Amino acid sequence: MNDTDLKYLWKTGNEQIAIGQTSDKTNLDNLTKRNISHFLSSMKPIKIFTLFVGMLWVFGLGYVLIKLTINAYEQVSPYFLYSAYFQLMLTAIAVILYIFQLITLYSIDFDKPVINLQKTLINLKVSTLNVTRILMLQLPFWTTFYWNESMFKNGTLALFIIQGTVSLSFTYLAIWLFFNLTFENADKWWFKLLLQNKEWEPLITSIDILNDLEEEVASEKD
Amino acid sequence: MAKQNLHQTFHEIIERHKGLLFKVTRTYCGNEEDRQDLIQEIRIQIWKSLPKYDAHFAMTTWLYRISINVAISFYRKNNNRTYFPVAEKLPYVFDAHPNNLQEKFNLLEQFIVELNEMDKALIMLYLEDKSYQEISEIMGITISNVGTKMGRIKEKLKKRFLTHKEN
Repeated sequence: MNDTDLKYLWKTGNEQIAIGQTSDKTNLDNLTKRNISHFLSSMKPIKIFTLFVGMLWVFGLGYVLIKLTINAYEQVSPYFLYSAYFQLMLTAIAVILYIFQLITLYSIDFDKPVINLQKTLINLKVSTLNVTRILMLQLPFWTTFYWNESMFKNGTLALFIIQGTVSLSFTYLAIWLFFNLTFENADKWWFKLLLQNKEWEPLITSIDILNDLEEEVASEKD
Repeated sequence: MAKQNLHQTFHEIIERHKGLLFKVTRTYCGNEEDRQDLIQEIRIQIWKSLPKYDAHFAMTTWLYRISINVAISFYRKNNNRTYFPVAEKLPYVFDAHPNNLQEKFNLLEQFIVELNEMDKALIMLYLEDKSYQEISEIMGITISNVGTKMGRIKEKLKKRFLTHKEN
């Protein structure tokens, strides 16, 4: 089958199908009033909710920590205070990244050339992965905030071994995830286990597209 | 553009280019329900982009960009759904040489479905008789890259037709 045959087949086939189609007059009122449920919106509600919870957490915890630092610094365990500050700082970074993602989502122009727009969308999803990697760095601080002076003075060897193992394991896990939670590992079972939900599925399925785009760039350079 | 004019222009564009929208949605959506959703998504994006339309670009280039961008993103989001080959869901009748032409067209659609998202767009534009220059403007890749990719896709399709014939 040559090129002309293919084009003829495509043209004739579509013409025949179009004959059977009823004319569909767009109801513009419904269209413009419609609660837009386009594909990007699958990411928006969860981002807005996460952003809301994140900001509540950052401002709430931030307020409490500043109050404690000003009014009761001597009475509060420094392990608690600094663990909480580190946790707060990482959450704040994630919140800022989420805000940038939402701004990008709302400012996307669909009349851009296909490859350019698809790259923007994929980069947006990559940045979602980066937020998760940053949040993973919080892990060790969840094992240190309850430390106190008395624990070090009166603790048994067993306590030190257990606590040390837990804290070191969480530190190792956090660093390992920070460096390994990348697109290259998207086919690994632990990646799928960690990230497979409504927000992450589009990201995982986008990897093929990203590879395609890279192939485009590579073939342009050749 | 005044709002009333915008409404009118929008209706005219949709009516005049319904064939374009129809072909894009058929290329990316295998079942009627998804196709209706996709066509609605495309209309929404056309409506939203209309005030920014740059008359330096051909209307079809602009429409193809929007429809393909929306279709690829829609397809990516929904690609875990069961895909019904298009021909199974839409019964239609060819007037001339029914068996041969219909069968071949069904096969062509089926083979296009098997291509990746970008290749689907490229072959559809090619079959729509768009020049490499126009395809390059729509896709955002160089003309020479369009040529290279197109050669590979056509080869792939021809091989599929041959393999099918042998079986």
